[in-house]
Amino acid sequence: MRIAADRDRCEGHGLCVDTAPEVYDLDDDAVVVLRHEVVPAALERRAEAGARVCPVAALRVEQMSVES
Amino acid sequence: MSLRDVVVVGGSIAALTAVEMLRMEDFDGRITVLSDEDVPPYTRVPLSKGVLAGTESIDDVVLAPLAEDVDLRLKTAATGLDLRTRTVHTTAGPVSYDGLVIATGGRARRLGRPDQDERVLRSHGDCARLRDDLATASSVLIVGGGFLGMEIASTARALGKDVTVVDVAPPLDRLLGAVVGGHVRSVAAQTGVRIVVTDGGVRLLGVPRPTGVELVDGTRLEADLVVSAVGDVPNVEWLAGSGVQVHGGVVIDSSCRVAPSVVAAGDVTVTSGGDGTLSRSPHWTNAVEQARAAVRALLHGGAPYRPSQYCWTEQFGLDVKLVGDLDPQGEPAVLDGSLDQGSALLAWPDALAPRSVVALNHATPPVKLKRLLRPAAQGVPA
Repeated sequence: MRIAADRDRCEGHGLCVDTAPEVYDLDDDAVVVLRHEVVPAALERRAEAGARVCPVAALRVEQMSVES
Repeated sequence: MSLRDVVVVGGSIAALTAVEMLRMEDFDGRITVLSDEDVPPYTRVPLSKGVLAGTESIDDVVLAPLAEDVDLRLKTAATGLDLRTRTVHTTAGPVSYDGLVIATGGRARRLGRPDQDERVLRSHGDCARLRDDLATASSVLIVGGGFLGMEIASTARALGKDVTVVDVAPPLDRLLGAVVGGHVRSVAAQTGVRIVVTDGGVRLLGVPRPTGVELVDGTRLEADLVVSAVGDVPNVEWLAGSGVQVHGGVVIDSSCRVAPSVVAAGDVTVTSGGDGTLSRSPHWTNAVEQARAAVRALLHGGAPYRPSQYCWTEQFGLDVKLVGDLDPQGEPAVLDGSLDQGSALLAWPDALAPRSVVALNHATPPVKLKRLLRPAAQGVPA
């Protein structure tokens, strides 16, 4: 799984970081940065949860293959 | 008792977060989501901005889809609740549950009469209609100067419309306080927005389509497009007669509980302080926090949640984030920058023990703003 972060949409609310600090961070300009190029399997659920709470829909979950 | 069959009624962020939380807490039973909307869950936040301006579509604001093992039923409105038999009645028949999350949200409040075809902004359908109206209007009158009304004003002005906002109090003061509210209004006025503060209510003119408002002194304000942005009304009608306590919203305790095996979260709720007080906080982060607390209460029994007390607005090129109590009073301590410079970090009542902090065009993440709050103020509802 990958997360696609749209840094132009990001408004720095930080709900993703609150939800999944292992996956998301905010940089000095309070814009989202991803901690992993590819989300480790153990963090996928948290990564999804973090993406889903973004109030401006700046985070997209991308499945990389057809694994279930 | 272990739950096997949780039904979530609603289709927005509180409902979505509840589903998310059920799975995070390792609930492996059945989850059914009943939404009266015709599209999957989306965020309403951009509806007053990019989607209204026409630069974004509904596809841009749809939230990450629910897992495939969640039974999401769109266009399925709840019409009744039977607590005894544990059944939600819907437009598509009865649905039984052993755990229920009420997250039916709210709808736009209306000012006019039933024969007036009022323009509001809450759902994506409202937004699409308003966007089309906006395209052909040259003047826009917005009734209500809260976050939503002023964001619509900002978007309409950026599209070159002649924009007037009317309210019974100076727009934004109730939320951001007079200092920041005044600053945002002055920026709005510089862009050409006219703000009218009236003593007393307004009457919506025009049938079926509103053409203006009449103020108490008889003054008439008219525009090609009139938009009402006067708050929201919780969607509680389906609970009538169910025994669920409703007082301007579904009454929840500090753990979001409603009745045995029934919890609620988001804009549909009012929180009972236990001392007879009821408070309502219809903001995104509160919906998220409540949904998580509600699911914890449903699965494990209640534990009080701490409201995050965070809200924000974007308008007229200003990005305003507030943590703590709404409507901070008096002059703030300036922690960084200044309003005149266009970027500021402000604290009330003082820098040592703030109860409210505002970041205006200031890149401080909310989590850092929250840390600035006086510790004792955290967890106290606004």
